Amino acid sequence: MTLDWSIVWLNRWLLAEGALMTIVLTVLTMGLAVPLGIVLAFMRISKWRSLALLSQCFVELFRNIPLILIVYWSFYVIPILVPVQFSAFTTGLIALVLCVSAYNAETFRAGINSVRAGQTNAGLALGMSQFQVMKEIILPQAARRVLPILATTWVSLFKDTSLVSVIAVGELSHVALQIRSQSFRVLEMLTAMAVIYWMMGYPQAKLSDWVRKKFEVKE
Amino acid sequence: MTDTTPIRRAATQRPLLEYKHVHKAFGAFKAIDDISLEIYPGEVVCFIGPSGSGKSTLLRGTNGLDPFDGGEVFFDGQALPRKQSEVRKVRQRMGMVFQNFELFPHKTALQNVAIGPITVLNTDKAQAEQQAMALLAKVGLADKADNYPVNLSGGQQQRVAIARALAMQPEVLLFDEPTSALDPETIGEVLSVMKALADEGRTMVIVTHEMSFARRVADWVIVFERGKVLEQGPPEQIFEAPTVGRTKEFLGHLGWA
Repeated sequence: MTLDWSIVWLNRWLLAEGALMTIVLTVLTMGLAVPLGIVLAFMRISKWRSLALLSQCFVELFRNIPLILIVYWSFYVIPILVPVQFSAFTTGLIALVLCVSAYNAETFRAGINSVRAGQTNAGLALGMSQFQVMKEIILPQAARRVLPILATTWVSLFKDTSLVSVIAVGELSHVALQIRSQSFRVLEMLTAMAVIYWMMGYPQAKLSDWVRKKFEVKE
Repeated sequence: MTDTTPIRRAATQRPLLEYKHVHKAFGAFKAIDDISLEIYPGEVVCFIGPSGSGKSTLLRGTNGLDPFDGGEVFFDGQALPRKQSEVRKVRQRMGMVFQNFELFPHKTALQNVAIGPITVLNTDKAQAEQQAMALLAKVGLADKADNYPVNLSGGQQQRVAIARALAMQPEVLLFDEPTSALDPETIGEVLSVMKALADEGRTMVIVTHEMSFARRVADWVIVFERGKVLEQGPPEQIFEAPTVGRTKEFLGHLGWA
């Protein structure tokens, strides 16, 4: 078998565009899933049972089905539910946000719960309100524990964006797989894909490790 | 009961804290079983008794952190409100020191002491930090102002916690087993800070297992057992001539014959 690597070079701009799209998708997903995760976490710990239940159902649903299923599901079901025609990109983004915000909600909830009850009592004993305790004492401590987990989620998300290629979102996987099926240069394209993902993913993983070290909670 | 004991000097004033028929249960377990007590201004009162006798539960109900199931607490003549927004106002006037210090780990010693006045009393930051510095000096930790709790020993953390409680200029200080989590060698430094506060004439309620400290510093000692007051009196009575057999037995277990 002869390998022809020129196919990769010939399509370099297409691949670069796909890689850029992968990054945009990751950034947008996280940008939306962080605030949404915070809202879901606060709903979950609120004293209104119906809000808590709603949040719990959302989280347990989207956390426990495969992402690829959510992607397909969004593609076929959203057009039935809403009268607006979304692009493949928007549909893929929605699917990713549904999944990652469910994960983030659990991350934030665990972060808040990990601050022991004595800390709340110490704040209340000073005469602080529940809100002040949350703002001054719980959240700053929770944030330090949450950040390393968010970094890990980020690294997974970066790779998982490849799943939206199944609904023809033009990110790196989709572009590469398209070129593969048009040129039949299977091994070359899959290898190129792996190299590009690795080159982008490795620094992020290292950065995530650094965040984890830096924000390690010492008590 | 011993309410009529004439030796309780402070008892001529109106009580600063008054518990009337308070009770609290955890499931079937009666943690506090109909307790009525008074604490007078300027008194140092020690709660002693075996574990699970209700002394800590009574203390934690005093500022509503763990509200009682029934009965009432009067602070300075006013019944403790049940509403969160109103009970806050009362908590500001009571300082509390916890067994596990509960310093805020993301703040320096100085910030720990200043945070109460800044957030609750809206004190200007510079002024609050100046006061905090003076309080840290008072507990002997001026040189540790910029340390985070993780870099302080247990005894130092507890002294910062005392300074944090003092920053709110409380009318009463509640201590929940303040030395139980400490290494033996750092217990002394915390007790001597507490002794100094007692000598200033502050009203203090102390749940403790440090019998020699109670003997030396308390004006009044209350012995708890199974959610009830077993005996109360001045330390000379409790430690030397307890009128109740069970008190003698309890103190005997601790090495007080």
